[in-house]
Amino acid sequence: MNRHTKTALFVAPILILGGYILSDMYLENKAHENKVIELQVEGSCDVINQQCVLKSGEFEVNVTHHAGITTVNSTYPLDTATVFLVDENNKPTVYQLGMKDNPYYWKRETPLADLVANHGNKYKLRLITEIKGGKYIAEFITQTHR
Amino acid sequence: MEDNTSYWQDNLRLIFICLAIWFVVSFGFGILLVEPLNEFRLGGYKLGFWFAQQGSIYTFLALIFWYTKKMNDLDKKHNVEEE
Repeated sequence: MNRHTKTALFVAPILILGGYILSDMYLENKAHENKVIELQVEGSCDVINQQCVLKSGEFEVNVTHHAGITTVNSTYPLDTATVFLVDENNKPTVYQLGMKDNPYYWKRETPLADLVANHGNKYKLRLITEIKGGKYIAEFITQTHR
Repeated sequence: MEDNTSYWQDNLRLIFICLAIWFVVSFGFGILLVEPLNEFRLGGYKLGFWFAQQGSIYTFLALIFWYTKKMNDLDKKHNVEEE
């Protein structure tokens, strides 16, 4: 092993560690930046029949309503989750959800079932979820199919 | 003296090329360009993810041997190779 091989083998781990530390710092910093990402509805949304998936990349949120409780379940742990029920005059009513067992599940009692109880009923909802300062937002319509 | 300067200039050039490759592969491919690279797949993995996890390490290993070879060539060119 000549001197250049020794030099390269000595320097390489330092560069690898340097790269790792700098990348980690960069990503940590980026994760705390405020960003707003819009979620898209996958297919159609029927919250009452547990068929409402909102998606952006690998992040997915499932919005359901059962026995008077609206539940939000996500693929990543959330810091907050807020649901807005928006009436025909575009006036929103805010429902700040509470954590259910773990940060993947959030729930709260809402009157959604009364608003879309019958087949064909529609209602506008908005959702804001926060992860490390980043906001995932969605405005979507739930329609009862059954 | 002039030959020493030339040797050192070539050495510095090689080091900067290595550092540029190190930066592009680790920071560029692994972080800054990760989203567009993830459109492609390598061995079942998204390419950007693969570079961040494995590709950069393979490149660093290859750089070690490439740097050694180039430096040995440089030594020969300037008649300062090890016995």
